[in-house]
Amino acid sequence: MKTERSRMSRMSVSANSAFLMVLAAFLIVFPFFVSDYWIDVCVFWGINVLLGLSLNIIVGEVGLFNMGHTAFYAVGAYTAAILSQRFGINMWVLMLLSGVAAAIAGNVLTAPIMHLRGDYLLMVTVGLNEIIRITLINNPFGLTGGPNGLIVLDQFRVFGRVIQSPIDFYVLVWGCVALLLFALFRLQRSRIGRAWNYVREDAVAAESTGINTRWAKSLAFMIGAGIAGATGTIYATKMMVISPDSFTFAASVSLFAIVILGGTGSIPGVILASGAMMVLPELMRDFAQYRMLFFGLAMVLMMIFRPQGLWPSTRWSTRVKGGDAE
Amino acid sequence: MSGSRSARLLVSLALLALLSMAQFARAAEPIRIGLQAPITGPWAYEGEMARNSVQIVADEINKAGGLLGRPVEIVLGDDQGQPQQSALVAQRMISEKVVAVVGTYGSSVNDPAAAIYERNKLVNIAYGSTAESLTTHGRKYFFRTCFRDDRQGEFFANFAADTLKAKRIAIIHDNTTFGKGLAEAARRPILAQGKAEVVFYDAITPGERDFTAILGRMGRTNPDVVYFTGYYSEAGLIIRQMRTLGIKAPFVGGNAAVNDEFIKIAGIDIAKGALMTQEPLPTDLDYPESKAFVAEYVRRHGEAPSSPWPVYAADAFKVICAAIEATKSTNSDVLMNYLHNNLKDYPGITGPISFDAVGDREGAIYLAYEVFGEGDFRPRR
Repeated sequence: MKTERSRMSRMSVSANSAFLMVLAAFLIVFPFFVSDYWIDVCVFWGINVLLGLSLNIIVGEVGLFNMGHTAFYAVGAYTAAILSQRFGINMWVLMLLSGVAAAIAGNVLTAPIMHLRGDYLLMVTVGLNEIIRITLINNPFGLTGGPNGLIVLDQFRVFGRVIQSPIDFYVLVWGCVALLLFALFRLQRSRIGRAWNYVREDAVAAESTGINTRWAKSLAFMIGAGIAGATGTIYATKMMVISPDSFTFAASVSLFAIVILGGTGSIPGVILASGAMMVLPELMRDFAQYRMLFFGLAMVLMMIFRPQGLWPSTRWSTRVKGGDAE
Repeated sequence: MSGSRSARLLVSLALLALLSMAQFARAAEPIRIGLQAPITGPWAYEGEMARNSVQIVADEINKAGGLLGRPVEIVLGDDQGQPQQSALVAQRMISEKVVAVVGTYGSSVNDPAAAIYERNKLVNIAYGSTAESLTTHGRKYFFRTCFRDDRQGEFFANFAADTLKAKRIAIIHDNTTFGKGLAEAARRPILAQGKAEVVFYDAITPGERDFTAILGRMGRTNPDVVYFTGYYSEAGLIIRQMRTLGIKAPFVGGNAAVNDEFIKIAGIDIAKGALMTQEPLPTDLDYPESKAFVAEYVRRHGEAPSSPWPVYAADAFKVICAAIEATKSTNSDVLMNYLHNNLKDYPGITGPISFDAVGDREGAIYLAYEVFGEGDFRPRR
């Protein structure tokens, strides 16, 4: 059995790396053939990948249903916009700061609800999303600009070059994705990653083997929220204007859908699903009003015929096929 | 590993699709003008009417021989009423090298696009984005044919104080970008003028059905008039529940409340006499241009546009064409200068059009509409 399992996991590793190589090749070649518009589509794809991966830590790795992820993204974007406007802090520093701010928010806001499970947690996080959005609209202390939002004038700079054109952002965003992927693959194999999966499969058993489940859960929330917050900085500089309308419940739902559609816990799945969520509606543009109908139909069919997601997490299936975990 | 195979297939399919979509380059013969509008999404109806309206103008111009001897062509971009999509559409317009852009409808949707157009020096004329903030960033290439929210707020302040003789005004908004913006724009001049006081100012949550708690609190402040700046479905419920609670003060809605649904939800007996502040509907405009336009719209689509906004899109398109014709140029800077400095009282469908230094349209054309017993909105003359 042991040999069977290691063979399977080696296969999953090679499938993952094959996928990543295809993706990398595609991303390097792609910009040479297309207009700025399609490069921009890929910039937003990359932003969604960053967000999807950060949510995947919470939903996929630890199994905490978080349908308010946009709240942390908003905290990051607004932190960057406010600090940049008031103090003119460098964007790279702000990316770090807004990540930290979102991580703190992730910790503080979820501390009282960490014991909730499944649907109950999901309901509360939906509320969290709305609370943040409405707070932004109410313009607390004149900081958030209320419903009009804030304008972001500063940009990222690399050795004097201002990151401004679609291709600049393309390199920035996908560079960040590459870094994050590296970190996440390491994290998945680490002690923390395995503890997270254990908590997801059986929290009681995990607790009894000495894993502090509460710690594991809040760590996942902090890391996930932090990455989303840092992504918020990129979004803010890309859009140049941020308003509460960018951080709606609907945005959280589509992030959640990305993780579920891709296959919970699966990193290639998140990349594929966020691409599908971006590109499919574009391709179905000709259907105009009926587009969302087809989109919904595609989602329903997907859930019926492939509930495990586009690219199911292989660690999961290995364990089942290996059989000795029973 | 069939999972990874089908996934790789998906990737290659997506690649193919992307590449085929990118082959859009066309001959530069016609003059191409962009229209950014919400063709799908929650405001799809508005987007569709805007498209119809702009099409009418484009057809007219083409029938009369085009612009500078070249036909005009509309390049449609659907922003779905979402800020992120809006930024993408803006980028597409720039990639497609349009001369100028009309659009779009929602303010917070328009803002990111306007920032991108500004950086790429492309004239863009909004038709339904009324938030004040859009013209406070010092953008040179942004214009709008619709009027700013605070003009509607001012209109209400004067209307309430002078026509309705109200002393105690209650304002309710719905915390949306638009609703809160208008509420603020109404409160400011009331406080500044000092002719009346704002006795109640609070928000309801859109989507809820029961507002009796907040309306009860409002009733205790004894308002002479109630101004609700949110959308029609909540407006219908609010006026209904106000009357049930015995609050007799006149109800005034903002321009988002003007919809037949309002009357259906409230019931005609209650809705009768309700007032709305809004831009005149196309059918209530008295200019010869507007009469001709509405007649053509009815001929093509069987009914007049049901909201004021589509004709502002048509006007934006007309203004761009007029600028191209007058300057004999499709250069953005030339067009921008012409629109700022030389275009004065252009006879648009919605009345004379001139732009001020920040790109706002000069003047203000608002009307108070009243719900009549037959269940229709008519201007209160």
